Amino acid sequence: MNNMTICNYIVSVVGLALGALIMHAAAAFPMQFTENGPGPGFWPFSLGCALAVAAVVLLAFTFTKRADLSGQRVSLNTPANKRVYIMMGLVVAFCVLINLLGFYPAAAALIVATMKLMDYHNKKGILLTTVLTLAFIYLVFGVLLHTQMPQSIFLS
Amino acid sequence: MADIISALNMIMVPLNLLGLVMGVLVGIAFGCMPGLSVNMGLALLFPLAFTFHGIGGILMLLGIYCGAIYGGSISAILLKTPGTPASVATTLDGYPMATKLRQPGRALGLSTLASTFGGVFSTICLILLAPQLAKVALQFSKPEYFALAIFGLSIITSVSSGSVVKGIMGGLIGLFLATVGIDAMTGTIRFTLDTTYLLGGVSFIPILIGVFAFAQVLGSIEEYYHNERSEQHMVIDRLLPSLTDIKRVFMTLVRSSFIGTFIGCVPGTGGDIASFVSYDQAKRWSKHGSNFGNGEPEGICASEAGNNAVSGGAFIPVLTLGIPGDGATAIMMGALMVQGLQPGPLLFVEKAPDVYAIFIGLLLANLIMGIMGFSLIRLFTKVVNVPVHILLPIIVMMTFVGTYSYNNSLNDVYLMVISGFLGYFLNKLGFSMSAIIIGIILGGMAEQNFVGSLIMSDGNFNIFYTRPLCLFFLVAAVLSLLSPVLGKLFKKA
Repeated sequence: MNNMTICNYIVSVVGLALGALIMHAAAAFPMQFTENGPGPGFWPFSLGCALAVAAVVLLAFTFTKRADLSGQRVSLNTPANKRVYIMMGLVVAFCVLINLLGFYPAAAALIVATMKLMDYHNKKGILLTTVLTLAFIYLVFGVLLHTQMPQSIFLS
Repeated sequence: MADIISALNMIMVPLNLLGLVMGVLVGIAFGCMPGLSVNMGLALLFPLAFTFHGIGGILMLLGIYCGAIYGGSISAILLKTPGTPASVATTLDGYPMATKLRQPGRALGLSTLASTFGGVFSTICLILLAPQLAKVALQFSKPEYFALAIFGLSIITSVSSGSVVKGIMGGLIGLFLATVGIDAMTGTIRFTLDTTYLLGGVSFIPILIGVFAFAQVLGSIEEYYHNERSEQHMVIDRLLPSLTDIKRVFMTLVRSSFIGTFIGCVPGTGGDIASFVSYDQAKRWSKHGSNFGNGEPEGICASEAGNNAVSGGAFIPVLTLGIPGDGATAIMMGALMVQGLQPGPLLFVEKAPDVYAIFIGLLLANLIMGIMGFSLIRLFTKVVNVPVHILLPIIVMMTFVGTYSYNNSLNDVYLMVISGFLGYFLNKLGFSMSAIIIGIILGGMAEQNFVGSLIMSDGNFNIFYTRPLCLFFLVAAVLSLLSPVLGKLFKKA
């Protein structure tokens, strides 16, 4: 658990850095006013400024209300969060596997892994869900909508 | 008249009608399953909508929009777990009627009647009011459009349930994302990281699915770690409301529909506010005020008529002014834009048949919703019980397939995954996903009209405060942005 004060400080710093980065990137484009209006850098530069100002306001707000905000907890390392992080890992693995195995085998692996991650171990249920989901995707997207799902790099 | 006939021709295409019916069906299913939301349903089926030619996809999304608002009442009545925030007030009398009074069928029937009445009522208001407002809005020029875009952006203070400053930061990030790609005014290529993928701008659909659907799935995985959803095994008795019930709730239906339509017109509000205000007013005006909270029919009808009446009202600013009132209407507006229908007063001139098709589609969606509600309610009560461990893997898969199928691009899938991961953490930190999406949608309109206004005035900023309507919208935007602070000061005073 973290409290919202710390999180807000981090968000403020990240927001400030992002604002500065946008301003820096926008400064590479012309910003002067011509007969065609302001240059293409003017609007994004203004947005970067506004983001930085908003980050400073958040910093000031957090500092003045730090006592109240300390009571607000942000859960980031509970067992439930860890389950989410594992899910994120599975999704990243799925993105890699799509290229290696192709969509359908990778999708089958992800469905099975997700159901197991959610403490569901009934083999019949897992098999039925996997088969029916993939059959639905194949029929609707593959057959009806003619979507060519990603294939294995070894096949393409 | 010719426009209306053209609109009817568009809708009566069997595939388009099928899209509308499927949309309502899917919408009700999404609405009645706790953990799934209107925005998630719209985002998830957004890419599929564009496989329809012409207006068909929009009709499907309209069906989902209407169906999901109504669907939320089913789990609210049967499980005391509202499927959508708009149905929270329905639990107050719906659940007691279903459990204490042992009349779940009566409660579901009344909610279906009220939802249909509210939806149809507000659509009629939309049909009557929107063209008149569009006529006024036709006088607008670039400064007014810029001011309107800023006013539209200012509603992020209302849609940001957590911190207002974070809402503004999210909106600014959305506005910046809208600048990526080729600048429409000068043709300059901006912030593309030297990739061809970003030349056409940041793809809106992967971000939409990422922040509204994938991030929510991650949130649900966390939420259901310990607590499994409760199940219901009630026997549904008589569904059609009796004449006595209809007489008893009729005035409440009319009043709540007025309230819901009016609240829907105000950007930044939504079904949850409408249902609570309607419920409160019904309790004040009712002869059975003391029975509220114990299964009072007027309580169920007030909440449901109020939240469904928002649907038509919310389309008034979207179609006439191009301002989305909340996340769901922002998605609908994005869908219209992707289909080449730029919301705003010119839409009523240039694409009048499409506008009428939207009107008729919304009306039909509400009627189909009512018919489905009365005929398929027993099926939907089964859907309420679908276990999370089956539902979530399927939704995860649909987020991938939906994103991929739009452009056949794995880059879109990667963008969706990144957006989903970021969305999960941003949600935890109190950021509003709707603010980011509204920023992306209104970004182009704001910048182009800002630059266009300055060209009109030779670079003089006076143009923004010397034109009365422009000044009015800018002042309204400032007031809207400061409303949380002003509200606190007002309360203290």
